[in-house]
Amino acid sequence: MAVILVVEDEIFTREIAEMMIQDWGHQTLSAGDVDEALLFLRSPRHIDALFTDIYLKTAVLGGCELADIAIKLRPGLRVLYTTGNFVTDKMKALFVDGKHYLSKPYTEQQLHGSVDQMLAA
Amino acid sequence: MPVSDIAASDIVETVPSALLVLDRNLNITSANRAFYQTFRTSADETEGCLIYDLGNRQWDIPALRTLLESVIPHRASVEGFEVEHDFPTIGRRTMLVNARKIFRPGDHDGFILLAIEDVSEERAARKESNRNWQLTQSIVDTIRDPLVVLENDMTIVTASKAFLTIFGITQAEAHGRRVSELGQHQWDVPALRHLMEKVLPENKPIEGFEIEDDFPGLGRRVFNLNARKISQPGNHAHRMLLVFEDITDRKQRERDAQTLTNEISHRIKNNLQIVVGLISYEAKWTAAPCVQGYRAMQARIGAIAHLYDLISQSSRGRTIAVDAYLGEIAKAVSASLGNQSGVAILVRAEALEIDPDRAVPFGLLVNELATNAIKHAFPGGTGQVVLSVERIGDEIELTVADDGVGMKEKTLTKLPEKRGSDYVAIFVRQLHGTLTVSGAEQTGTAIKVRLPLLLVPAGGAEPLAA
Repeated sequence: MAVILVVEDEIFTREIAEMMIQDWGHQTLSAGDVDEALLFLRSPRHIDALFTDIYLKTAVLGGCELADIAIKLRPGLRVLYTTGNFVTDKMKALFVDGKHYLSKPYTEQQLHGSVDQMLAA
Repeated sequence: MPVSDIAASDIVETVPSALLVLDRNLNITSANRAFYQTFRTSADETEGCLIYDLGNRQWDIPALRTLLESVIPHRASVEGFEVEHDFPTIGRRTMLVNARKIFRPGDHDGFILLAIEDVSEERAARKESNRNWQLTQSIVDTIRDPLVVLENDMTIVTASKAFLTIFGITQAEAHGRRVSELGQHQWDVPALRHLMEKVLPENKPIEGFEIEDDFPGLGRRVFNLNARKISQPGNHAHRMLLVFEDITDRKQRERDAQTLTNEISHRIKNNLQIVVGLISYEAKWTAAPCVQGYRAMQARIGAIAHLYDLISQSSRGRTIAVDAYLGEIAKAVSASLGNQSGVAILVRAEALEIDPDRAVPFGLLVNELATNAIKHAFPGGTGQVVLSVERIGDEIELTVADDGVGMKEKTLTKLPEKRGSDYVAIFVRQLHGTLTVSGAEQTGTAIKVRLPLLLVPAGGAEPLAA
């Protein structure tokens, strides 16, 4: 079972996502913005994957910037992006290698499929 | 016969210029036929007469007096002396006068030969041409959009006031320069050069070529370029009219509207995520038989949500690309089946666009039919569902076909899942369509929905009302 850092500024959406992920047997860490997420990423805690919203509070591409730093801090970290925006090619170019992304609104099955794919990659 | 053998008198009578010979007292000693014809006079009235007295003193012209009394005495010849005069008999005339002193051997007084060419028509045509040019230039100057006229070699012949103002140059500085040399060479764009080179030889206009750049003194600007060949009747030379439409403000408004659309789409989708999350939470505490209903509800919400992605992508912001929309729905339905599913969903759609008002029932209809097919057609868990849309005359046909077990004869008239079929019936009614079901056991099922032409071809005009 994996440890997944869930970064989402909308608290209800984040908690429901965490609830689903925990139901599948994983452990979650919870952050509402880039700074909170970096505290976990810079700590010695074990983290397998990052599941992050792209638009975080005022940071339009906060999730992309966070993933860039996260990969530098923890090479090999798996990343799954989510966003309510249309994912343009310009945005995809900012994704880290081996990216996965999931459009909002996502259902439980869609999140389950994406998380499994990300962890299996 | 060599020209030198022709008698001088024959030449004098043949040339079109009016010729006059005057003695030292300015009396006319002779004139040629062209003179008599041009000035409607005769040898009797002319010969021996003082030039100023000719034809009731018609020739007593101040300019001619200046030539004969002040210029000729000091010079052997004069060429191109222009005299403009109102002749009572022949009206206003402009004449070019060449004069030469002629001396015969032993004759010290000599004669004056005047060659008079009537250039009235040529001068009038030139004046008319100048007036036309000034009129054209004043029209050009009142056009707000900067424009230039280019020669075959792409150099500027003339530029409008708006053009000169915008680029901070004078007409003289613009003349003879190439557009690619202007400013900081912002117009030196290979694609534009390529298009401009085709305007004259191939008579291929340029329409709506956009250039966005920083222009000195103007800041960041977006220009829309239009060019076409212009020809003057009777003139084989062709020129190019190049118009620069400043669309900076319009472009900014479009970008603001796009940003707003994206922002609204983003918020709506985040809110729909909350709704989907609420349903997930409810489903978690609900008895297993009801979970399927919650999931179907989430898929329906997903079908609506995908519209907002497509609205963001739509260049016109008004219509939805049907092929892309079917693709998104297919992707979402596939994702809901999970990675291990043996059911494939394919899309075969013509490039059509649908207006956003009808896109919601259309998307929900497709979602419902696809979900029903998956639910009932494949007890073995494998097969394929094809979503297709094609235009047939004045109608559009949506087909959701599967290669599954097919329906029993008696159920053909009645769709399998009660609530799903209720939804299907509502959406078909909402779209003013008609539904037919075909297929038999083991041959799969095809559900076809004929809709009025509420879809428009990609890039078409306003959607037609149903």
